[in-house]
Amino acid sequence: MEFKIDFIGRTKVWFAISGALVVIGILSLLIRGVNFGIEFKGGTQLDLKFKQKVTVSDVRSELSDQGLGKSIIQSKGQNEILIRSRSLSKAEQKKVVSTLDGKWRIADRTIQNVGPGWGAYITQAALVALLLSLLGLLIYISLRFEFKMAVSAIVAVVHDVIITAGVYALVGREVTPNTVAALLSILGYSLYDTIVVFHRILENTPRIGKRAYSTMTNDSINQVLMRSINTSLTTLFPVITLVLIGGETLKDFAFAMTVGIITGAYSSVFVASPLLSLWKELEPRYRNLKLKYSKA
Amino acid sequence: MSNKQKYMLSLSFIIILVAGSVYLLIKQPPKLGLDLRGGMNVILTAKSKPGAGVTSKTMEQALFVIEQRINKLGVTEPQISRQGSDSIMIQLPGIKNPDKVLDIIGKTALLEFKPIQDQYAQLSESQLNAMIKKGGDPFVTLPPDLRLTGDALSSASVGYEENTSKPKVNLTFQSAGGKTFDKLAAQFYQKRLAIILDNRIQSAPVLQSTHFGGRAEITGNFTIENAKELALVLQTGRLPVELVISQNQTVGPTLGRDSLLAGLRAGVIGLIIVALFMLGYYRLYGLLSWFTLSIFTTLLLGSLAAINAILTLSNIAGISLTLPGIAGIIFMFGSAADSSVIVYERIKEEVKGGKSIRTAMSTGYTHGFKTFLDADLVTFLTAAILFYFGIGPVRGFALTLMLGIGCDLLTSYFFTRAALGLLAPLGVFSKTTVSGLKEVAQ
Repeated sequence: MEFKIDFIGRTKVWFAISGALVVIGILSLLIRGVNFGIEFKGGTQLDLKFKQKVTVSDVRSELSDQGLGKSIIQSKGQNEILIRSRSLSKAEQKKVVSTLDGKWRIADRTIQNVGPGWGAYITQAALVALLLSLLGLLIYISLRFEFKMAVSAIVAVVHDVIITAGVYALVGREVTPNTVAALLSILGYSLYDTIVVFHRILENTPRIGKRAYSTMTNDSINQVLMRSINTSLTTLFPVITLVLIGGETLKDFAFAMTVGIITGAYSSVFVASPLLSLWKELEPRYRNLKLKYSKA
Repeated sequence: MSNKQKYMLSLSFIIILVAGSVYLLIKQPPKLGLDLRGGMNVILTAKSKPGAGVTSKTMEQALFVIEQRINKLGVTEPQISRQGSDSIMIQLPGIKNPDKVLDIIGKTALLEFKPIQDQYAQLSESQLNAMIKKGGDPFVTLPPDLRLTGDALSSASVGYEENTSKPKVNLTFQSAGGKTFDKLAAQFYQKRLAIILDNRIQSAPVLQSTHFGGRAEITGNFTIENAKELALVLQTGRLPVELVISQNQTVGPTLGRDSLLAGLRAGVIGLIIVALFMLGYYRLYGLLSWFTLSIFTTLLLGSLAAINAILTLSNIAGISLTLPGIAGIIFMFGSAADSSVIVYERIKEEVKGGKSIRTAMSTGYTHGFKTFLDADLVTFLTAAILFYFGIGPVRGFALTLMLGIGCDLLTSYFFTRAALGLLAPLGVFSKTTVSGLKEVAQ
């Protein structure tokens, strides 16, 4: 398939769209906030599998008697209920389990208890990892490609991370350490398409001929468009399957990855490449080419 | 060496690696993590006292004590490791009574012997404990040479009181400790000596002798279970720091299996979709990618097994396959398909540029490889950072990503390149309809 789409010519439109998405992302983060899981806030999570059918409201009314009516209670799979509450003592946990067991017979259970200090610890570790990753990427791409490409790529990655986080705030999906891990690894993967495009731009630069840098960038994007789409698809297929039928824990990973892969593919074409092109055309050599050959 | 010989050589290399992986996998099938087979995962974090930070040395000591306690409990395949600077992670598969285990491993077990001041001699043990709780200090301040703690014990065992046959804990001191105890008894003869465990008085009997021969006992309202637990923690020594449970997860066995099945089912369906997509879009090359992906998956699982084998040899607990690890494998599968996509697209492009399909198959690989090498290394970089800073299960995920990228590059360099090189002269790949090159070949 051959493409002749004018991406770079409509840079203003893409930047407006991306800008709007980033603003929406930041606003929803500020206004709605992120729904942090108990691993961050501290608390107790009980995953109870019953021998018979139990509804969320049944469990809630039972727990209200123990002053736990405000806990998050969700139905999960067949006869399975997930309860997230404030941190419960061992005695309180036992009371909850024995009450519910007495009513509906519990077949199996998973109990998780997290102290309040733990969240601060992992948040800090995640932030350090995030900053170091960005720095590492900046250095690596600067060395292998060039500094302007590195900065453009990093801007695109930050754009992806903000949008993904914004989607979490909007949807209200719980953020667990798994989500954070997925987000951090998306940091690397969202660059995949950007690297593919930049590689082509580097390859085409000596053969720029009678073209403006922006035109050459646009041609490069068109040349590699099909592989960008297909690499994103081959990674999206398994990840989306995980979102749909992969069970609760894997969903945490897969949802963040799905959003990250999509924004990563988008930003390689609509953020990183136009930004690079704008910046490069400030260099005297490419400014001259632009004045000479640009259609505009 | 001709190109053909080189390709045959690298194919044999890959075949050896695959055979090795299969052998390892049969010999040492991947162990399932606690989240998949049920069990308890606890993270204990040291509570640092003001003025005294938690040093690496105290954490090593704490780790040692906890290992000893868990070994005495007789849990199969425990995994105990340090996490970050001040935490210890303990994984115990198939535990039936998690609460009891937590009591034992987390107990500081600081045993002290202190005489009670005369003015409080009439108070009962519970009255004294209430006083301590409020911040009072009913004890005589001892000079350093009379101070005695559980560190001076050589053993602790369960016994029974003679008259009531209630359980008690017998203590035996090391010889120096025994002498100190006798000195203490001589100085405070006929006075009450409190036996204090973790700031709580267990008992406070009157010293009826000045010569104990290195033996003492703790009585109180023990059940046999309690007495056994106390003897166990005293035997293994006290923890050098107070540890608090910062994270505790107990997974029921059937719930673990449910997660495993859901993950595997989703994984397999995802893989089938990718395989069908590759076949549909890239035809004969897509079929070739089935081999690439199968080799990749075998190598990835094999390298996990290899790491486990090496760790086991050096007596370090191996890595078990956790849910995040499964997510990593499935994600890497899609990412490995990316490498094939990049190479095939490049071949198409070279053909479009006027090269023969035969030439394009080898130049396409060379150019494509450079591209996905960079793209892969960028992912590797973030995974490595994640591995270094990650905690517990997140590390499993990061590790699978790193290994996956390694296997992807290996498979691509030794298999895809050789396969394309060897298949290029075959006429069937040049038939545009089967190779998916129909529209570009004109």
